[in-house]
Amino acid sequence: MIDQRIYEMFREIGRDLFTSDMISSHGGNLSIRLGDRVIIKRRGAMLGNLKIHDLVDTRLDKNDSGVALASTELLVHRTIYLNTPALAVVHCHPRTAIAFSLSRDELVPIDNEASYLLKKVPVVTEEFASGTPEMANKVANALKNYKIIMLRGHGSFATGQTLDEAFHWSSTLEESCQIELATKIINEPFIEYRKMSESYNKF
Amino acid sequence: MAGWAEKILDIDLNTKTYKTYPLDMEMARSFIGGRGLGARLLWELVGPEVDPLSPENVLIFANGPLTATGYQTSNRFSVSTKSPLTGTILDANSGGFWGMQFKKAGYDVMIVRGRSEKPVWIEIKPGEVSFHDADDLWGMRVRAVTAKLGQNNNRRNVLCIGPAGENLSRIAAIMNDGERSLARGGPGAVMGSKNLKAIVVEGKDRPEIVDQERFKFLLYETRKLLAASPLTSQALPEFGTVVMMNIVNNVGALPTRNHQQSQFEGAEAISGETLTEKYLVKNASCWACPIGCTRVSRTEKVEGEGPEFETTWAFGAACGIDDLEAIIEANALCNDLGIDTISAGSTIACAMELSERGYIDSDLCFGRADLLARSVEDMAYRRDFGADMADGSLRMATKYGHPELSMSAKGMEMPAYDPRGMQGQGLLYATSNRGACHMRGNMLGLEVLGLPKLIDRFQVQGKSSFVILHQNSSASIDSLVLCKFTNMGVADEYFARMLSAVTGIQYATGDMIRVGERVWNLERLYNLREGFTRADDTLPPRLLNEALTEGPSQGWVVQLEPMLKEYYRGRGWDENGVPRPQKLAELELANL
Repeated sequence: MIDQRIYEMFREIGRDLFTSDMISSHGGNLSIRLGDRVIIKRRGAMLGNLKIHDLVDTRLDKNDSGVALASTELLVHRTIYLNTPALAVVHCHPRTAIAFSLSRDELVPIDNEASYLLKKVPVVTEEFASGTPEMANKVANALKNYKIIMLRGHGSFATGQTLDEAFHWSSTLEESCQIELATKIINEPFIEYRKMSESYNKF
Repeated sequence: MAGWAEKILDIDLNTKTYKTYPLDMEMARSFIGGRGLGARLLWELVGPEVDPLSPENVLIFANGPLTATGYQTSNRFSVSTKSPLTGTILDANSGGFWGMQFKKAGYDVMIVRGRSEKPVWIEIKPGEVSFHDADDLWGMRVRAVTAKLGQNNNRRNVLCIGPAGENLSRIAAIMNDGERSLARGGPGAVMGSKNLKAIVVEGKDRPEIVDQERFKFLLYETRKLLAASPLTSQALPEFGTVVMMNIVNNVGALPTRNHQQSQFEGAEAISGETLTEKYLVKNASCWACPIGCTRVSRTEKVEGEGPEFETTWAFGAACGIDDLEAIIEANALCNDLGIDTISAGSTIACAMELSERGYIDSDLCFGRADLLARSVEDMAYRRDFGADMADGSLRMATKYGHPELSMSAKGMEMPAYDPRGMQGQGLLYATSNRGACHMRGNMLGLEVLGLPKLIDRFQVQGKSSFVILHQNSSASIDSLVLCKFTNMGVADEYFARMLSAVTGIQYATGDMIRVGERVWNLERLYNLREGFTRADDTLPPRLLNEALTEGPSQGWVVQLEPMLKEYYRGRGWDENGVPRPQKLAELELANL
């Protein structure tokens, strides 16, 4: 039985992802780790309009009946939990970040907030970009060293102690990419204001 | 290898001899330093047959690979031993300057074995160890010993015990640099049992750093992060750790009158704001620390460092006392006599309740600020009723037939957070390997301060995951050895990167948390070997059965059982709290 407090947390973050244009109607997913279990969004459920029955409680280390209901991305969520200290995962489709991921191997923010919080976001590539072990391993490996990563052309995976925290990294990344896009439109010379910013890409 | 000095100093007080030998670097990679290395070495050196106050117990002083590098708060060191208070594995760590100096003397670890026939003190310089007669120092208080042995902050540093350690008080601290302490669990009594009064160190060389460029970058970024956090750049420097008094009181989690209530009507009078306004002389810092949370306070009678939040709570709200001057003086006395302020204050609070309920014949009662100093002195010298208080609240309350009035877990007095108002903190206290402790993964950040994000403090389901993560993280930080306050502004990922920059060995964040998990499980194995069981993972009955009757936490008790079940599963332990073979194999502990 899923605690009402946990459901409310999912509902609020899911709604915020949708209203902030970080996902389409049925895109993205959320999960949290509870010890040896994972609570994850049900397959096909709308994050912007979650009901308590849209949350699936399943085992972390092996299958049970929960897998029949869980998000198609359950495997990647499990692999992240088994390979990192994460207690929450937010997967979404931030549009500007996805656009930049199509031409870059890493996203190095130029705005102050994301420079401070993220330093660098690596981009990983996987052709079969949904639910495969190859994709799960690549994403989890990248998240060993970074709290948020981009899967090229697909979306972001962010980790945290809470959904709130992982959402924070996701929205910070998208905001940063929107700022960079705006600077490209303005198209004026960049004035560096950050000491040691040349080291960000080594982070 | 950069970072580590790769050398152990092994001292035998039976013969007043020493030897040095290389640190096992495989062990160092797996356990890092400080608490981790201490636990690993203690596992080999001190078995269940050893009485904590016998010559067979050892003191293991250890620093970490970041110590003395200049990274923020890289001044700390730890001592590991078997606790005379709890009988569990114990480590306590301290800041100041001594740890940095010990590293610069060229050692990662110092093991002290045996017992000297007569009082002795040890002097360590690079490549040189000497033993000195301490007859003239025995009986002296901490400040006097520290001055006499030539304390000089950046060159020569003194670690010693006071009368409480000499008199084998089971809540005695080891003191360094005059007023810093390795306090909890009674390591001062172990040092006293060895007739070892002091250890003085003089160092020379800073450790080597492999990637200087990356080191400087991370140093700079850490400075920015600490400056950006209001907690580390404003609250702690301006008010000290006592800034927590009003915050914890406001949420109804400040244990009051031996945990009979969880809000104290006198909190404002003993708050950080009042301390700063009326008694602060200046701030002080440990070596390489930009936070500067240390207070130097003055009353008509004393001037010295402190008091910290936990101390102010223990002599304040826990005892129903709102006289900050009396608290500052009790703190100064504890530092000079070498005694743990949390256990001292909490034990006095327990005695006050025993007395008020008529279970002992004493003038102690809640609110009697005038009795604090006398009680502390009596404990340190084992005078009168102080002889009972000197061994902590559980032994004292048990002697008088009411162990339930000791607010302790595994025999260690609980710190300043009522877990009925912070459910995760309750699980943390119950499962902490050294007994109730707020430095073993404090849930204050998540449940009250919102660090990194606020979670529901009354939530039970899922709480164990946070507790496990923070316990592992704290064991990792204690193995580096850094100050926990750094972690309030800087995430674990920075520590992993800094360790990689210094040593040249690549550690990811998860690797560091895994080190912490390894240390936690090893400590658990140690306690199981000592005979501790699931039944010891508990809390005083008051917290499990007596709901708070007023305030923001009204109606709550600690929902320990469901959290504990979830915790064991999450840790990969069986239903009795024993690590499963698969978990031990995963952590490379299967051969123990």
